[in-house]
Amino acid sequence: MSILVKADTKVVVHGITGKIGNRQTRLMLDYGTRISAGVTPGRGGEEVWGVPVYDSVSEVIEEHSIDASLVFVPAPFAKDTCFEAMEAGVKLIVLITEHVPVHDAMEIRAMANAEEAVVIGPTTPGIIYPGKMKIGIMPGNMFCPGNVGLISRSGTLTYEIAGNLCDMGIGQSTAVGMGADPVVCTSLTQLLHMFEEDEETHVVVIVGEVGGTEEEKAAQYIKREMKKPVVAYIAGQSVPPGKRMGHAGAIVERGMGSAQSKVRVLKEAGVKVAERPTEVSELVKSILRRGL
Amino acid sequence: MRIHEYEAKNLFRESRIPVPRGDVAASPGEAHRVAEEIGLPVTIKAQVLVGGRGKAGGIKFAEDLGEIEELSGELLGMDIKGYKVESILVEEKLEIERELYLGVTIDGSRGCPIVMVSSEGGVEIEETARNYPEKIFSREVKPSQGLRAYQARELAKKLGFKGKPMLQLASIIGSLYQAFKSYDALMAEINPLVMTRGGQFVAADGVLEIDDSALFRHPELGIEAQDRIPDELEREARKIGVSYVNMDGDIGLICSGAGLGMATMDMIREKMKPANFLETGGGMTRQLMAGALRVVLKKGNLKAVFINIYGGINPIHEGAKGIADVVREENVKIPIVAKALGNLQEETWETLQGVGIKVVKETQTARAVEQLFRTLERGCG
Repeated sequence: MSILVKADTKVVVHGITGKIGNRQTRLMLDYGTRISAGVTPGRGGEEVWGVPVYDSVSEVIEEHSIDASLVFVPAPFAKDTCFEAMEAGVKLIVLITEHVPVHDAMEIRAMANAEEAVVIGPTTPGIIYPGKMKIGIMPGNMFCPGNVGLISRSGTLTYEIAGNLCDMGIGQSTAVGMGADPVVCTSLTQLLHMFEEDEETHVVVIVGEVGGTEEEKAAQYIKREMKKPVVAYIAGQSVPPGKRMGHAGAIVERGMGSAQSKVRVLKEAGVKVAERPTEVSELVKSILRRGL
Repeated sequence: MRIHEYEAKNLFRESRIPVPRGDVAASPGEAHRVAEEIGLPVTIKAQVLVGGRGKAGGIKFAEDLGEIEELSGELLGMDIKGYKVESILVEEKLEIERELYLGVTIDGSRGCPIVMVSSEGGVEIEETARNYPEKIFSREVKPSQGLRAYQARELAKKLGFKGKPMLQLASIIGSLYQAFKSYDALMAEINPLVMTRGGQFVAADGVLEIDDSALFRHPELGIEAQDRIPDELEREARKIGVSYVNMDGDIGLICSGAGLGMATMDMIREKMKPANFLETGGGMTRQLMAGALRVVLKKGNLKAVFINIYGGINPIHEGAKGIADVVREENVKIPIVAKALGNLQEETWETLQGVGIKVVKETQTARAVEQLFRTLERGCG
């Protein structure tokens, strides 16, 4: 099994006719993702790589059953698109779009809570069920199937760590990018909980970074409730305080939020913390070896 | 992005928050004119985008018009924590009875705005929050509902106000939340909110930090985020569409993704110092990468450039062409070490190697960083 998705999860791609939507649809189809439809207002009736395009989600659900929405629309339209998908009853939304206004992200998160939907992102690389399907932009060649649950606040660093794991013959059950904006719609703790319940996942890897308090909150959950071993890496150990490092969320402020604070509380919760990304795969390997 | 105090106060005024009478000035003559209009005595405040200005000598009081020109002259051009003072705010001096604190910000992990009030306003508010948390009252706001009038009244009451002052204070709290919401702020703060001897509430200071990602829907502000960046290279990078942070080392760095960039920086720092942090985001094109490398090289005196990119959403094969363009056009002599993986990696490697760039094809950034160290230690061989 995997978390959030199944091998046959049916996906609608929002913004499918855009340059990125088009290209990523091709890559997902090649990887095995079932893409039932696309939506671009004003482009209904067209096709992208054989996938029918509609003007709205309500038209899509008249003809297809949909499990998940993948959103590539430009930031100004992200909120409206997520609302549209949730109102149509879609329970899983992957919001790839970068630079979504924070006030919009808060409203999307509030509606997701009210509708009992899961929204991953914004600024996420998406979800990949290695070897089966992916809803997102991660390069498939960096992942392989296995028993490690991977949660990351970063996109590209996830690819690197998954690649390192694969080099050592360790695959992933599911990899999820949670996004690193100041407000993300699904928390690290929620994702840890899903992996804790997933039978196919034996070890969970957290790829965190400076800024925010997600790792600190997650440490409390791990200490209190998690039975599965957790390995973590926190990027930004050498980031000077107060410097903005690309993601709006990656701001070092006060005690909490610094890489040092995160490393400390995670260690206190029994998490094995890697000093470098490379060390993640070594720590996972030693845990798996002990388990056998 | 933080905006100037005078800009924040103009927006507060539009949101019906009482602010002191006054105006901004860019010369002692202008300051003089403002003071004549509003009357004496006045407060003169340096307009810089950094906190702790009062302690750094950026706030003065003037009793007569001669003093105004003199003090304005002192403030204009002054350096406060690395920021040059280019304008000053001249305002009526308030008769202070009490100082309160009002703030609205976003609790990222809860995903909602949070309103905070305290009867102990002033420069020591952070210490108060640390040492006497019971003196700060706060409440979460449901993003879809906003702050209700009764919730604002409850907060005003917690600060010990009754009757009409309680209602006035509640209305200001409500207006501050409204300003926070309507201008897409990450933070809106009045510290202090002064209660004058005459019993009026006035926002003696104002801070508004606006979400850069939301500026597209605020043309009324007339603000271009890139114009507000003091560092020249950071400003230039912003115009191209990449994130750039200037640092004090000599290894130029270009990464796709902030997490990967920070991890790379951590590894380089084990032996060397990055000259910058540059993150491309997900909109890579040939032009964007060419521009990114140009900005990195502009800093000068670099020992090497390290590139670490992934082809997920980014067409790295296109990005590689931009890098190659610059290497050829500017005849770049310093070593460039690149790690590029993901979609279309082979094509990317070919383009980079074609202009003499050392390409590391392994998954581990650590290996590529070791290659960088080896290349530099080897010298010119």
